[in-house]
Amino acid sequence: MEHHHHPEASAGQPARQPAKERKRIGDRGDFFLNRIQGEAGVNISACYQCERCTNACPVSHYMDIKPHQVMRYIQLGWREELLKSATIWVCLSCEMCTTYCPNEVDVAETINHLRNIAAQSSVAPEYESLAVFHQTFLDVLRTSGRVNEIRLMSAYYSKLNILKEKMKDGSLKDEILVGMSLLRKGRLKLLTPRSRAIKELQKAHHRISGEMD
Amino acid sequence: MKLSFYPGCSLEGMANDYARSISAVFTELEIDLVEIADWTCCGATAAHSLSQSMSVLLPARNLAAAEKMGRDIVSPCAMCFNRLRFSQQMIQKKLFDIPWSVTGDIQVHDMTRFFAEPRMIASIKERVVKPLVGLKVVCYYGCQMVRPPKITGYTDYENPQTLDRIATAVGAEVIDWSYKSTCCGASIGIARRQIGESLAGRILEKAGQAGAQAIVVSCPLCQSNLDILQKDRPEKRIPVFYFTELLRLGFNKITDPQWFKMHFTDPVPLLRAKHFL
Ligand code: SF4
Ligand code: SF4
Repeated sequence: MEHHHHPEASAGQPARQPAKERKRIGDRGDFFLNRIQGEAGVNISACYQCERCTNACPVSHYMDIKPHQVMRYIQLGWREELLKSATIWVCLSCEMCTTYCPNEVDVAETINHLRNIAAQSSVAPEYESLAVFHQTFLDVLRTSGRVNEIRLMSAYYSKLNILKEKMKDGSLKDEILVGMSLLRKGRLKLLTPRSRAIKELQKAHHRISGEMD
Repeated sequence: MKLSFYPGCSLEGMANDYARSISAVFTELEIDLVEIADWTCCGATAAHSLSQSMSVLLPARNLAAAEKMGRDIVSPCAMCFNRLRFSQQMIQKKLFDIPWSVTGDIQVHDMTRFFAEPRMIASIKERVVKPLVGLKVVCYYGCQMVRPPKITGYTDYENPQTLDRIATAVGAEVIDWSYKSTCCGASIGIARRQIGESLAGRILEKAGQAGAQAIVVSCPLCQSNLDILQKDRPEKRIPVFYFTELLRLGFNKITDPQWFKMHFTDPVPLLRAKHFL
Protein backbone atom coordinates (compact mmCIF):
# COMPACT_ATOMS: atom_id res chain seq x y z
CA MET A 1 0.00 0.00 0.00
CA GLU A 2 1.25 3.47 -0.87
CA HIS A 3 1.70 5.99 1.91
CA HIS A 4 0.73 9.59 1.31
CA HIS A 5 1.95 12.39 3.44
CA HIS A 6 -0.72 14.44 5.03
CA PRO A 7 -0.60 17.88 3.37
CA GLU A 8 -0.35 19.66 6.73
CA ALA A 9 2.56 17.56 7.81
CA SER A 10 4.71 18.88 5.00
CA ALA A 11 3.66 22.46 5.85
CA GLY A 12 5.80 22.46 8.99
CA GLN A 13 3.14 20.94 11.23
CA PRO A 14 4.14 18.00 13.38
CA ALA A 15 3.84 14.86 11.36
CA ARG A 16 0.75 12.87 12.18
CA GLN A 17 1.40 9.79 14.23
CA PRO A 18 0.89 6.67 12.22
CA ALA A 19 -2.52 5.30 13.13
CA LYS A 20 -2.23 2.78 15.96
CA GLU A 21 -2.60 -0.65 14.64
CA ARG A 22 -6.29 -1.32 14.77
CA LYS A 23 -7.18 -3.83 17.34
CA ARG A 24 -9.03 -6.77 15.94
CA ILE A 25 -11.91 -8.65 17.31
CA GLY A 26 -10.49 -10.79 20.10
CA ASP A 27 -9.04 -14.17 19.23
CA ARG A 28 -11.95 -15.82 20.84
CA GLY A 29 -14.36 -14.23 18.38
CA ASP A 30 -17.74 -14.02 20.00
CA PHE A 31 -16.95 -16.77 22.47
CA PHE A 32 -16.51 -14.21 25.24
CA LEU A 33 -19.69 -12.38 24.27
CA ASN A 34 -21.66 -15.60 24.32
CA ARG A 35 -20.15 -16.64 27.58
CA ILE A 36 -21.08 -13.41 29.38
CA GLN A 37 -24.54 -13.35 27.84
CA GLY A 38 -25.16 -16.88 28.95
CA GLU A 39 -23.72 -16.62 32.45
CA ALA A 40 -25.00 -13.20 33.39
CA GLY A 41 -28.25 -13.56 31.47
CA VAL A 42 -27.77 -10.18 29.82
CA ASN A 43 -28.47 -9.40 26.19
CA ILE A 44 -25.28 -7.51 25.45
CA SER A 45 -25.76 -7.72 21.68
CA ALA A 46 -28.68 -5.35 22.09
CA CYS A 47 -26.33 -2.50 23.06
CA TYR A 48 -26.17 0.14 20.33
CA GLN A 49 -23.66 2.44 22.03
CA CYS A 50 -26.01 5.28 22.89
CA GLU A 51 -23.91 6.03 26.01
CA ARG A 52 -26.90 6.57 28.23
CA CYS A 53 -25.42 4.20 30.81
CA THR A 54 -22.20 6.19 30.95
CA ASN A 55 -24.07 9.46 31.23
CA ALA A 56 -26.10 8.11 34.15
CA CYS A 57 -23.08 6.71 35.96
CA PRO A 58 -21.94 8.74 39.00
CA VAL A 59 -18.38 7.47 38.84
CA SER A 60 -17.66 7.13 35.11
CA HIS A 61 -15.15 9.92 35.68
CA TYR A 62 -12.98 7.49 37.66
CA MET A 63 -13.27 4.66 35.14
CA ASP A 64 -10.68 3.78 32.52
CA ILE A 65 -13.21 1.90 30.39
CA LYS A 66 -16.60 3.63 30.49
CA PRO A 67 -19.76 1.54 30.96
CA HIS A 68 -20.83 1.75 27.29
CA GLN A 69 -17.29 0.81 26.25
CA VAL A 70 -17.46 -2.21 28.52
CA MET A 71 -20.38 -3.42 26.41
CA ARG A 72 -18.46 -2.85 23.21
CA TYR A 73 -15.33 -4.55 24.56
CA ILE A 74 -17.40 -7.61 25.37
CA GLN A 75 -18.90 -7.63 21.89
CA LEU A 76 -15.34 -7.55 20.55
CA GLY A 77 -14.12 -10.23 22.92
CA TRP A 78 -11.51 -8.08 24.68
CA ARG A 79 -11.48 -10.08 27.87
CA GLU A 80 -8.06 -9.25 29.33
CA GLU A 81 -8.52 -5.49 29.04
CA LEU A 82 -11.75 -5.77 30.96
CA LEU A 83 -10.41 -7.99 33.71
CA LYS A 84 -7.45 -5.65 34.21
CA SER A 85 -9.56 -2.52 34.22
CA ALA A 86 -10.12 -0.18 37.14
CA THR A 87 -13.74 0.07 36.03
CA ILE A 88 -14.85 -3.26 37.40
CA TRP A 89 -13.66 -2.26 40.88
CA VAL A 90 -14.77 1.36 40.72
CA CYS A 91 -18.37 0.46 39.85
CA LEU A 92 -20.63 0.97 42.86
CA SER A 93 -23.45 -1.31 41.72
CA CYS A 94 -25.70 1.71 42.01
CA GLU A 95 -27.78 0.37 39.11
CA MET A 96 -28.23 3.72 37.36
CA CYS A 97 -26.93 2.33 34.07
CA THR A 98 -29.25 -0.68 34.12
CA THR A 99 -32.24 1.43 35.07
CA TYR A 100 -31.81 3.86 32.19
CA CYS A 101 -30.62 1.66 29.33
CA PRO A 102 -33.20 1.98 26.56
CA ASN A 103 -32.52 -1.59 25.48
CA GLU A 104 -32.83 -3.17 28.90
CA VAL A 105 -29.21 -4.22 28.89
CA ASP A 106 -28.30 -5.00 32.48
CA VAL A 107 -25.03 -3.09 32.51
CA ALA A 108 -24.51 -3.22 36.26
CA GLU A 109 -24.97 -6.98 36.40
CA THR A 110 -22.58 -7.35 33.47
CA ILE A 111 -19.88 -5.33 35.18
CA ASN A 112 -20.51 -7.26 38.35
CA HIS A 113 -20.13 -10.49 36.46
CA LEU A 114 -16.78 -9.32 35.09
CA ARG A 115 -15.77 -8.64 38.69
CA ASN A 116 -16.74 -12.23 39.55
CA ILE A 117 -14.62 -13.54 36.69
CA ALA A 118 -11.68 -11.32 37.59
CA ALA A 119 -11.83 -12.42 41.21
CA GLN A 120 -11.53 -16.02 40.14
CA SER A 121 -8.87 -15.38 37.52
CA SER A 122 -5.15 -14.89 37.91
CA VAL A 123 -5.37 -11.26 36.81
CA ALA A 124 -4.28 -8.91 39.58
CA PRO A 125 -7.10 -6.51 40.39
CA GLU A 126 -6.42 -2.89 39.53
CA TYR A 127 -7.91 -1.75 42.84
CA GLU A 128 -6.57 -4.37 45.14
CA SER A 129 -7.98 -2.78 48.27
CA LEU A 130 -11.57 -3.33 47.19
CA ALA A 131 -11.01 -6.91 46.15
CA VAL A 132 -9.31 -7.55 49.48
CA PHE A 133 -12.13 -5.86 51.36
CA HIS A 134 -14.78 -8.04 49.73
CA GLN A 135 -12.73 -11.16 50.30
CA THR A 136 -12.22 -10.29 53.95
CA PHE A 137 -15.94 -9.70 54.32
CA LEU A 138 -16.68 -13.18 53.01
CA ASP A 139 -14.02 -14.73 55.23
CA VAL A 140 -15.60 -13.19 58.32
CA LEU A 141 -19.04 -14.22 57.11
CA ARG A 142 -17.87 -17.77 56.64
CA THR A 143 -16.61 -18.08 60.20
CA SER A 144 -19.61 -16.64 61.99
CA GLY A 145 -22.53 -16.47 59.58
CA ARG A 146 -22.90 -12.77 60.30
CA VAL A 147 -20.50 -9.90 59.86
CA ASN A 148 -19.34 -8.00 62.88
CA GLU A 149 -17.80 -4.65 61.93
CA ILE A 150 -14.94 -4.83 64.41
CA ARG A 151 -13.92 -8.26 63.21
CA LEU A 152 -14.25 -7.13 59.61
CA MET A 153 -12.20 -3.98 60.03
CA SER A 154 -9.48 -5.57 62.10
CA ALA A 155 -9.14 -8.43 59.63
CA TYR A 156 -9.05 -5.92 56.78
CA TYR A 157 -6.43 -3.64 58.31
CA SER A 158 -4.27 -6.56 59.29
CA LYS A 159 -3.68 -7.31 55.61
CA LEU A 160 -0.18 -6.04 55.04
CA ASN A 161 -0.78 -4.33 51.71
CA ILE A 162 -3.81 -2.51 53.00
CA LEU A 163 -1.97 -1.27 56.03
CA LYS A 164 0.91 -0.05 53.89
CA GLU A 165 -1.41 1.73 51.48
CA LYS A 166 -3.34 3.40 54.29
CA MET A 167 -0.12 4.53 55.90
CA LYS A 168 1.18 5.90 52.64
CA ASP A 169 -1.87 7.98 51.78
CA GLY A 170 -2.22 9.14 55.37
CA SER A 171 -5.73 7.83 55.81
CA LEU A 172 -4.81 5.41 58.57
CA LYS A 173 -4.76 7.95 61.36
CA ASP A 174 -8.10 9.40 60.32
CA GLU A 175 -9.70 6.03 60.14
CA ILE A 176 -8.41 4.96 63.53
CA LEU A 177 -9.91 8.14 64.98
CA VAL A 178 -13.25 7.42 63.34
CA GLY A 179 -13.08 3.85 64.63
CA MET A 180 -12.47 5.09 68.15
CA SER A 181 -15.41 7.48 68.05
CA LEU A 182 -17.58 4.69 66.69
CA LEU A 183 -16.59 2.57 69.63
CA ARG A 184 -17.13 5.37 72.12
CA LYS A 185 -20.55 6.12 70.68
CA GLY A 186 -21.58 2.51 71.04
CA ARG A 187 -21.85 1.93 67.31
CA LEU A 188 -19.49 -1.02 67.35
CA LYS A 189 -20.21 -4.16 69.26
CA LEU A 190 -17.28 -6.27 70.33
CA LEU A 191 -19.36 -9.38 70.36
CA THR A 192 -22.34 -10.12 68.23
CA PRO A 193 -24.13 -13.44 68.18
CA ARG A 194 -22.98 -16.08 65.76
CA SER A 195 -25.72 -17.57 63.71
CA ARG A 196 -26.41 -21.14 64.65
CA ALA A 197 -26.89 -21.84 60.97
CA ILE A 198 -23.19 -21.47 60.30
CA LYS A 199 -22.60 -25.18 59.70
CA GLU A 200 -25.25 -25.25 56.99
CA LEU A 201 -23.65 -22.26 55.29
CA GLN A 202 -20.19 -23.75 55.42
CA LYS A 203 -21.51 -26.91 53.87
CA ALA A 204 -23.17 -24.97 51.07
CA HIS A 205 -19.98 -23.05 50.51
CA HIS A 206 -17.90 -26.18 50.33
CA ARG A 207 -20.26 -27.59 47.80
CA ILE A 208 -20.11 -24.66 45.42
CA SER A 209 -16.38 -24.33 45.69
CA GLY A 210 -15.99 -28.02 44.94
CA GLU A 211 -14.42 -28.91 48.28
CA MET A 212 -15.23 -32.07 50.16
CA ASP A 213 -17.44 -31.68 53.22
CA MET B 1 -50.56 -10.14 57.35
CA LYS B 2 -47.98 -12.13 59.23
CA LEU B 3 -44.47 -10.76 59.12
CA SER B 4 -41.02 -11.94 59.88
CA PHE B 5 -38.13 -9.58 60.46
CA TYR B 6 -34.72 -9.88 58.86
CA PRO B 7 -32.53 -7.35 60.68
CA GLY B 8 -29.21 -7.81 58.87
CA CYS B 9 -25.73 -7.39 60.31
CA SER B 10 -25.61 -3.59 60.45
CA LEU B 11 -28.47 -3.58 62.92
CA GLU B 12 -26.38 -5.55 65.39
CA GLY B 13 -23.51 -3.07 65.22
CA MET B 14 -23.28 0.28 63.46
CA ALA B 15 -27.05 0.73 63.42
CA ASN B 16 -28.06 -0.77 66.74
CA ASP B 17 -29.95 2.45 67.49
CA TYR B 18 -31.97 1.88 64.33
CA ALA B 19 -32.72 -1.66 65.52
CA ARG B 20 -33.95 -0.41 68.87
CA SER B 21 -36.11 2.29 67.31
CA ILE B 22 -37.63 -0.25 64.94
CA SER B 23 -38.68 -2.71 67.57
CA ALA B 24 -40.08 0.12 69.68
CA VAL B 25 -42.12 1.45 66.75
CA PHE B 26 -43.48 -1.99 65.98
CA THR B 27 -44.54 -2.40 69.60
CA GLU B 28 -46.06 1.07 69.65
CA LEU B 29 -48.04 0.33 66.51
CA GLU B 30 -48.95 -3.13 67.84
CA ILE B 31 -47.62 -5.03 64.89
CA ASP B 32 -46.61 -8.60 65.39
CA LEU B 33 -43.08 -9.11 64.18
CA VAL B 34 -40.95 -12.20 64.62
CA GLU B 35 -37.25 -12.19 63.95
CA ILE B 36 -36.09 -14.98 61.64
CA ALA B 37 -34.34 -17.44 63.90
CA ASP B 38 -30.68 -17.99 63.08
CA TRP B 39 -30.70 -15.56 60.22
CA THR B 40 -27.43 -15.23 58.36
CA CYS B 41 -25.73 -12.37 56.50
CA CYS B 42 -27.15 -11.59 53.03
CA GLY B 43 -23.62 -11.38 51.61
CA ALA B 44 -24.05 -7.72 50.69
CA THR B 45 -21.79 -6.24 48.02
CA ALA B 46 -18.99 -8.67 48.82
CA ALA B 47 -20.78 -11.86 47.80
CA HIS B 48 -22.33 -10.12 44.82
CA SER B 49 -18.94 -8.86 43.66
CA LEU B 50 -17.01 -12.06 44.10
CA SER B 51 -19.33 -14.95 43.55
CA GLN B 52 -22.69 -15.14 41.86
CA SER B 53 -23.55 -18.43 43.51
CA MET B 54 -22.82 -17.11 47.02
CA SER B 55 -24.95 -14.06 46.28
CA VAL B 56 -27.91 -16.34 45.61
CA LEU B 57 -27.17 -18.92 48.31
CA LEU B 58 -26.61 -16.60 51.26
CA PRO B 59 -30.01 -14.86 51.11
CA ALA B 60 -31.70 -18.13 50.15
CA ARG B 61 -31.26 -19.65 53.59
CA ASN B 62 -33.12 -16.73 55.13
CA LEU B 63 -35.88 -16.94 52.55
CA ALA B 64 -36.21 -20.64 53.33
CA ALA B 65 -36.42 -19.94 57.06
CA ALA B 66 -39.17 -17.33 56.55
CA GLU B 67 -41.08 -19.66 54.25
CA LYS B 68 -40.99 -22.31 56.91
CA MET B 69 -42.58 -19.83 59.30
CA GLY B 70 -45.13 -18.92 56.64
CA ARG B 71 -44.39 -15.24 57.05
CA ASP B 72 -43.50 -12.46 54.60
CA ILE B 73 -40.19 -10.71 55.27
CA VAL B 74 -39.71 -7.08 56.26
CA SER B 75 -36.21 -5.79 55.76
CA PRO B 76 -35.06 -2.48 57.25
CA CYS B 77 -31.81 -2.36 55.26
CA ALA B 78 -31.83 -1.37 51.61
CA MET B 79 -28.88 -3.61 50.83
CA CYS B 80 -30.38 -6.71 52.46
CA PHE B 81 -33.72 -5.98 50.80
CA ASN B 82 -32.10 -5.81 47.39
CA ARG B 83 -30.07 -8.99 47.92
CA LEU B 84 -33.07 -10.92 49.23
CA ARG B 85 -35.17 -9.90 46.23
CA PHE B 86 -32.36 -10.71 43.82
CA SER B 87 -31.90 -14.18 45.28
CA GLN B 88 -35.65 -14.70 45.31
CA GLN B 89 -35.88 -14.01 41.59
CA MET B 90 -33.00 -16.33 40.81
CA ILE B 91 -34.69 -19.04 42.86
CA GLN B 92 -37.97 -18.50 41.02
CA LYS B 93 -36.15 -18.85 37.73
CA LYS B 94 -34.71 -22.11 39.07
CA LEU B 95 -31.22 -21.17 37.93
CA PHE B 96 -29.49 -22.41 41.05
CA ASP B 97 -29.27 -25.56 42.99
CA ILE B 98 -30.30 -24.53 46.49
CA PRO B 99 -29.66 -26.91 49.39
CA TRP B 100 -32.72 -25.69 51.33
CA SER B 101 -36.34 -26.17 50.48
CA VAL B 102 -37.40 -22.80 49.13
CA THR B 103 -39.82 -21.65 46.41
CA GLY B 104 -39.29 -17.90 46.55
CA ASP B 105 -43.04 -17.35 46.84
CA ILE B 106 -43.20 -15.21 49.97
CA GLN B 107 -43.11 -11.41 49.76
CA VAL B 108 -40.01 -9.42 50.69
CA HIS B 109 -40.99 -5.90 51.75
CA ASP B 110 -38.72 -3.01 52.34
CA MET B 111 -39.70 -1.46 55.62
CA THR B 112 -40.55 1.98 54.26
CA ARG B 113 -43.02 0.58 51.79
CA PHE B 114 -44.64 -1.36 54.59
CA PHE B 115 -45.06 1.79 56.70
CA ALA B 116 -46.20 3.90 53.75
CA GLU B 117 -49.29 1.75 53.11
CA PRO B 118 -52.47 3.82 53.66
CA ARG B 119 -53.51 1.61 56.56
CA MET B 120 -50.17 2.10 58.32
CA ILE B 121 -50.10 5.83 57.61
CA ALA B 122 -53.50 6.11 59.26
CA SER B 123 -52.30 4.21 62.28
CA ILE B 124 -49.17 6.39 62.50
CA LYS B 125 -51.28 9.56 62.36
CA GLU B 126 -53.48 8.26 65.17
CA ARG B 127 -50.49 7.95 67.45
CA VAL B 128 -48.71 11.19 66.72
CA VAL B 129 -49.04 13.34 69.81
CA LYS B 130 -46.18 15.74 69.09
CA PRO B 131 -46.26 16.54 65.37
CA LEU B 132 -42.89 17.69 64.07
CA VAL B 133 -44.29 20.94 62.74
CA GLY B 134 -41.74 23.21 61.14
CA LEU B 135 -39.05 20.57 60.74
CA LYS B 136 -37.85 20.84 57.16
CA VAL B 137 -36.52 17.58 55.84
CA VAL B 138 -35.49 15.93 52.61
CA CYS B 139 -35.92 12.18 52.23
CA TYR B 140 -33.02 10.20 50.87
CA TYR B 141 -33.63 6.70 49.48
CA GLY B 142 -30.27 5.74 48.01
CA CYS B 143 -29.77 3.08 45.35
CA GLN B 144 -30.47 -0.39 46.56
CA MET B 145 -33.99 0.16 47.80
CA VAL B 146 -35.30 1.45 44.47
CA ARG B 147 -32.98 0.16 41.75
CA PRO B 148 -33.04 -1.75 39.54
CA PRO B 149 -36.86 -1.60 39.36
CA LYS B 150 -37.09 -5.14 38.00
CA ILE B 151 -35.65 -6.37 41.30
CA THR B 152 -37.06 -3.88 43.78
CA GLY B 153 -40.54 -3.60 42.28
CA TYR B 154 -40.53 0.19 42.65
CA THR B 155 -42.43 1.88 39.82
CA ASP B 156 -41.71 5.42 41.01
CA TYR B 157 -37.97 4.79 41.25
CA GLU B 158 -37.14 8.24 39.90
CA ASN B 159 -39.14 10.00 42.54
CA PRO B 160 -39.95 7.51 45.30
CA GLN B 161 -42.51 8.58 47.87
CA THR B 162 -42.55 6.12 50.76
CA LEU B 163 -40.33 8.06 53.16
CA ASP B 164 -41.96 11.32 52.07
CA ARG B 165 -45.37 9.96 53.08
CA ILE B 166 -44.11 8.72 56.43
CA ALA B 167 -42.31 11.97 57.28
CA THR B 168 -45.42 13.94 56.27
CA ALA B 169 -47.55 11.73 58.52
CA VAL B 170 -45.49 12.75 61.59
CA GLY B 171 -45.98 16.38 60.67
CA ALA B 172 -42.58 17.22 59.18
CA GLU B 173 -42.36 19.55 56.22
CA VAL B 174 -40.99 17.45 53.37
CA ILE B 175 -39.05 19.31 50.71
CA ASP B 176 -38.91 17.95 47.20
CA TRP B 177 -35.41 17.60 45.75
CA SER B 178 -33.59 15.87 42.92
CA TYR B 179 -31.14 13.71 44.85
CA LYS B 180 -33.48 11.18 46.44
CA SER B 181 -31.83 8.20 44.85
CA THR B 182 -28.42 9.45 43.77
CA CYS B 183 -25.75 7.08 45.02
CA CYS B 184 -24.00 8.11 48.27
CA GLY B 185 -21.00 5.88 47.58
CA ALA B 186 -21.20 3.93 50.83
CA SER B 187 -20.17 0.69 49.18
CA ILE B 188 -16.82 2.04 48.07
CA GLY B 189 -16.08 4.39 50.96
CA ILE B 190 -13.86 2.17 53.01
CA ALA B 191 -11.50 1.25 50.21
CA ARG B 192 -11.58 4.36 48.00
CA ARG B 193 -12.31 7.21 50.29
CA GLN B 194 -11.98 9.97 47.77
CA ILE B 195 -14.79 8.64 45.59
CA GLY B 196 -17.06 7.97 48.56
CA GLU B 197 -16.51 11.43 50.00
CA SER B 198 -17.20 13.23 46.76
CA LEU B 199 -20.51 11.41 46.28
CA ALA B 200 -21.68 11.84 49.85
CA GLY B 201 -20.50 15.46 49.88
CA ARG B 202 -22.68 16.30 46.92
CA ILE B 203 -25.79 14.88 48.54
CA LEU B 204 -25.16 16.81 51.76
CA GLU B 205 -24.55 19.97 49.78
CA LYS B 206 -27.73 19.61 47.76
CA ALA B 207 -29.80 18.83 50.85
CA GLY B 208 -28.58 22.08 52.36
CA GLN B 209 -29.31 24.02 49.19
CA ALA B 210 -32.83 22.61 49.10
CA GLY B 211 -33.36 24.23 52.49
CA ALA B 212 -33.49 21.05 54.55
CA GLN B 213 -32.63 21.05 58.24
CA ALA B 214 -32.30 17.29 58.33
CA ILE B 215 -32.11 14.25 56.07
CA VAL B 216 -34.40 11.26 56.59
CA VAL B 217 -33.14 7.81 55.60
CA SER B 218 -33.94 4.17 56.09
CA CYS B 219 -30.70 2.51 55.03
CA PRO B 220 -28.05 1.93 57.72
CA LEU B 221 -25.24 2.23 55.18
CA CYS B 222 -26.50 5.56 53.85
CA GLN B 223 -27.05 6.79 57.39
CA SER B 224 -23.55 6.09 58.61
CA ASN B 225 -21.98 7.30 55.40
CA LEU B 226 -23.83 10.64 55.34
CA ASP B 227 -23.67 11.10 59.11
CA ILE B 228 -19.96 10.38 59.55
CA LEU B 229 -18.59 12.18 56.49
CA GLN B 230 -19.58 15.61 57.76
CA LYS B 231 -16.68 16.48 59.97
CA ASP B 232 -15.03 18.55 57.25
CA ARG B 233 -18.03 20.83 56.88
CA PRO B 234 -18.50 22.17 60.41
CA GLU B 235 -20.64 25.16 59.49
CA LYS B 236 -22.97 23.18 57.27
CA ARG B 237 -23.73 20.14 59.35
CA ILE B 238 -27.06 18.50 58.78
CA PRO B 239 -28.38 15.66 60.98
CA VAL B 240 -29.33 12.36 59.38
CA PHE B 241 -32.30 10.60 61.00
CA TYR B 242 -33.69 7.14 60.57
CA PHE B 243 -37.37 7.53 59.79
CA THR B 244 -38.16 5.39 62.81
CA GLU B 245 -36.52 8.01 65.02
CA LEU B 246 -38.83 10.65 63.57
CA LEU B 247 -41.81 8.38 64.23
CA ARG B 248 -40.80 7.92 67.84
CA LEU B 249 -40.23 11.65 68.28
CA GLY B 250 -43.74 12.23 66.95
CA PHE B 251 -45.15 9.59 69.32
CA ASN B 252 -43.35 11.48 72.10
CA LYS B 253 -41.37 8.37 72.98
CA ILE B 254 -37.94 9.97 72.74
CA THR B 255 -37.51 12.58 75.39
CA ASP B 256 -33.96 11.91 76.47
CA PRO B 257 -31.29 13.57 74.27
CA GLN B 258 -29.04 10.63 75.15
CA TRP B 259 -30.97 8.64 72.59
CA PHE B 260 -29.08 10.48 69.84
CA LYS B 261 -25.62 9.87 71.24
CA MET B 262 -24.78 7.44 68.44
CA HIS B 263 -25.14 10.17 65.84
CA PHE B 264 -21.95 11.82 64.66
CA THR B 265 -23.76 14.93 63.49
CA ASP B 266 -25.59 15.85 66.67
CA PRO B 267 -29.29 16.50 66.05
CA VAL B 268 -30.02 17.62 69.62
CA PRO B 269 -29.50 21.39 69.10
CA LEU B 270 -31.91 21.33 66.15
CA LEU B 271 -34.51 19.32 68.06
CA ARG B 272 -34.20 21.59 71.09
CA ALA B 273 -34.58 24.70 68.96
CA LYS B 274 -37.79 23.22 67.58
CA HIS B 275 -38.96 22.23 71.08
CA PHE B 276 -39.19 18.58 70.17
CA LEU B 277 -36.95 17.63 73.05
S1 SF4 C 1 -27.43 2.53 27.71
FE1 SF4 C 1 -27.68 0.44 26.93
S2 SF4 C 1 -27.68 0.60 24.70
FE2 SF4 C 1 -26.89 2.55 25.50
S3 SF4 C 1 -24.67 2.26 25.49
FE3 SF4 C 1 -25.38 1.67 27.52
S4 SF4 C 1 -25.74 -0.54 27.40
FE4 SF4 C 1 -25.57 0.23 25.31
S1 SF4 D 1 -23.79 0.37 38.51
FE1 SF4 D 1 -21.63 0.87 38.18
S2 SF4 D 1 -21.47 1.33 36.01
FE2 SF4 D 1 -23.63 1.37 36.51
S3 SF4 D 1 -24.06 3.51 36.90
FE3 SF4 D 1 -23.58 2.57 38.87
S4 SF4 D 1 -21.39 2.84 39.18
FE4 SF4 D 1 -21.83 3.25 37.01
